[in-house]
Order: sequence, then structure tokens, then C-alpha cells
Amino acid sequence: MTTLLHRRITPRALGELISHAPVDTVTLTDEHLTSFAARLRGVSTIDHRRLDAWAVERAAQPIDAFHWTPQTAKRALAGAALRRGGPEGNVLDAVRQEIATHLERATAGWARPGSLSWWLANSSEVVRSVTAAEASASALQLREVALLIPGDVQVASTDAYYDVPGARTSLRGRRDLVVTTPTGRVVLRVRGGAPGKSAGPGLRADLFIDAASDPLHRSAQRIIGLWPDAGVMLSVDGTMSDLRAGARDLVRSAVVRRAQQSKLAA
Amino acid sequence: MQVLEQRPRTITSVLRGDPQRRPLPDRQVAAGLRAQLEDGIFSLWPNEPREPVTVRASAFTLNPTSTEGTSTGQFRGLLLNQLLRLLAMGVTISDPFANAIEAWRSEDAASPLLAQVDQLDAEDLARLRADVQSHFTTLERNLGPLPASWEPRSAVRAYQRLAGGQVILRDTIDLSLGTTTSERASVVLIDVTTSPLGASAERIMRYHALVQTLRTGVAPLRSAAFSSATAELWVLDVTNELLQRGVDDVLHVLSKVATA
Repeated sequence: MTTLLHRRITPRALGELISHAPVDTVTLTDEHLTSFAARLRGVSTIDHRRLDAWAVERAAQPIDAFHWTPQTAKRALAGAALRRGGPEGNVLDAVRQEIATHLERATAGWARPGSLSWWLANSSEVVRSVTAAEASASALQLREVALLIPGDVQVASTDAYYDVPGARTSLRGRRDLVVTTPTGRVVLRVRGGAPGKSAGPGLRADLFIDAASDPLHRSAQRIIGLWPDAGVMLSVDGTMSDLRAGARDLVRSAVVRRAQQSKLAA
Repeated sequence: MQVLEQRPRTITSVLRGDPQRRPLPDRQVAAGLRAQLEDGIFSLWPNEPREPVTVRASAFTLNPTSTEGTSTGQFRGLLLNQLLRLLAMGVTISDPFANAIEAWRSEDAASPLLAQVDQLDAEDLARLRADVQSHFTTLERNLGPLPASWEPRSAVRAYQRLAGGQVILRDTIDLSLGTTTSERASVVLIDVTTSPLGASAERIMRYHALVQTLRTGVAPLRSAAFSSATAELWVLDVTNELLQRGVDDVLHVLSKVATA
């Protein structure tokens, strides 16, 4: 049974989703993770593959190769700027400082080709300004969400990463804000646009990756996906059935991707 | 409605006004507006529309003298919006046309419209360049400084589903200032157009206010339209009455679709 909930974003509804999150959390055991890794190993791959919620949501459609644009750079810069400036700080100035830090890194020769610092350093002032505009809008949106939440909320320092042993696969789970509660944590993920039909499976995939990457493999009490452009949010509880569904969808997306690659090769 | 003909002090100073005189944010009105829209849609389509119906701000453009619909007008509008984004970031713009094209390309290099601009002949390109330069001069002179503390956001997108997802209200606000989390209402929405302002501009201002209210659950303080063709600025304080008229406008557009 799914625990997917759909709500409009209001301070009250968001507060209730956090405060009424299930107290009992589940833990992924070694057996769970070994079984998951075995299933992924069964889906052979030549290159190292990376799976995430986006791959689950778009499993049947090919995903373009990643390249930096103001839109793809905004999330990394927005999160870093909010951590730098704090909830009361000037967001635009923090974004500018963050970009300046990336440029310094590139100038010092610490940025590898293809990294965000490298891309920013090789972009014009106009492109950097468009990136700053996107990042500051994203940071302001994230801060508005954070201000709706009563309690201890922090901007996530990194996304959740889990390297599946022996399967040449790494998983990346998106997380933007983490609320620490007396019994665990609630993870929030903020996305642009509006949720599609597969938004629920995507959220469950992020829930699973977050649990797998936790040092004790403990699941979050609840994961909440917010789409402020549409004013709606979805949530999934950290139950074993939802974790299983998330893991299954990740394996399925790997299978579909391999089938696509085989078709292209033929 | 406050109409300022020619040469406002600056757009931003007029819109922000006196912070002490701003009302408290209205956080109650959105649910009622949504219910009215749902009821209105139900009366048009008791079984929901078969195909999804999308409403955009362009649905309210009825000005026959508008040049926004033509290619040149569309290019000019898109390029001016890119320049607005750069101005909001405090960038010093040396070559408006080149900078706008570069900003546009960085965002959407595969845009078919951008490909059309690339294919313009020298004469059309020169005309577009001169046009953009002239509109930009008007915009820059009238916009005024945008302190970072006003939290400027450009190209703010909104997407609202009604009637079980079969009616979609889409909107993009050129420039938004302020935040919904402040103690006093502070959000102002600015629509920048390269056409002269007409009756449709007022409807678009109401539509922006309505969709923003539905999206955030908080009514904005003001909605404004600025014409870079005439340097006119129209400002509407967002009231319940204005939002009601916005609902009527949307239902009017939908009724035309339903009877078509």
C-alpha cells in the first residue's frame, strides 16, 4: 500500500506533514542491500551508470548528456548560497560570493574540466549573470519553503550518494532541506514545474537512496517533494513497502536503459 | 487604478511605495478564488473538458494594434526580457542586442525562435538591433535601481491545475519583487511589454495577480505593466475585487473555448 499524499503548499499543511510524520522508522539491513546489489549486477553495463529519481521518472525516454547551463547550475549554487548566507542573509549577495569562490577555485587551478567552477570560469559575464539570476530565484524559493517550517531545518550539505558494490552503479538522491525531529529526520526536495504522473515513484526512489546512503541505513520518517511553481507537494512515508518500491523502480530504470542501449547498438 | 503617464519617478520606487503603509498579507483569499474557478469550470463542463485546456496570459491579448504577435515583435519582447533579467542582476550592459542574444542562447540554445533570429538578413537584423536598443534605453532609464534586499526574481513561472488537471493556468511573470514570507504584503509583479498598453494589459495584470495568489496562497501587493514603447506604467493595487475580476476574465476565456 502506498503512503503517497498530495497537498497544497501552505504553512499549516507543511507543518502537519512534518509534525505528523510516522515516528517508527525502518532500517535497511545488509541483506536488503546485498539483494539490491545482486539485482543491479544482473543488469550488465559496460560503463559506470548513475541512477536517480529523474531516471526513474523518465525511464522510457532517453536522457540527454549532461552539460552545464544556467538552469543546471542553479541548484548547486542556490543551496551553497543559502548555507553561506543563512536564512536572514542577503541571497543575491551570497550567490555572487559563491560564484566568486568558484572563479577563484578555477583561477587557482583546482577546478577540473567539466566542473561547475571550470564552466563558470569559461563563461562570459552575461552567462554568469543569467546563472546568478536563476540561482538567486531558486535560493529565494528554497528559503521561503524553509521559513514555512517550524523547528530545526537545515539546507542539505550534499545530495545522497550510494555506490552499489560490484554493480558499477552509483545512486544519487536529491535532497534540499533536512528537518531534524526528536525521532529522526524528514527530507524535503524542491523541484521546478509541476509533478507528473511518475512523481510518486521518483520520490520513493529518493527515499530509498537517502536511506541507503545513511551511515546506519535508517530511513527518513518522511520525504516531501515540493513543486512551488505549481503550489503543490507530495509526500511518501519511510515504510518498508515504499523503500522496496523505490528500489524496484531503480532496478527497472536500469533495465529499461540497458534495453535502450542495446536497441541503439543494434 | 493609478495611471502614470510618461516619466514615472522610477518603476521600482512607485511600486514599492512606503513600507509603513503596506497592508498585511492576505493569506485567506486563495482558497475562495480556487473554489470559484472550480465552480465556474463545472458550469461550463459538467464532466470536465475532454482535452486539457491551457490558459496563458497571451489569451488576454486582444489589442489589434499590438505587434507582439509578429515575429519581430516576439523577438523584441524576448530579447527585452533577457535584458530585464540582466538589469535585475545589476549588470552593466554595453551592447544590449549582443548581450540579450548571448543570455538567450545560454538558456535555450536549441530554441527555434533563436534559430529564426540567426537567419534574419542583414537589413532585418539591423532593424531588430535598433529596435532592441531603443526599447532597452527606455526600460533602463525608467526601471531604477533594484537593491538586492528587494529580492528581485525574473521569469517567475507558475502552473496551476484545475478541474482535475484538465484546465491548466500557466503564467510567467517578467519581474517579481518582495517575498510572501514578510510581515507586510511586499510582492509586486511587473509585466514588461514592448507594445503600447491597452485594455488587454489590465487583464494581464489581473491574471498575473490571480495566478500568483493561487500559486503561493498569498495575494501580492501590486501588479504592474510597463511599456517600453511609450514609457507608460500602469499600477494596480491587488484587492479582492481585482482578483474577482481576474476570475471572471479566466472564466470568460474558458467559456469561449467551451462554446467553440
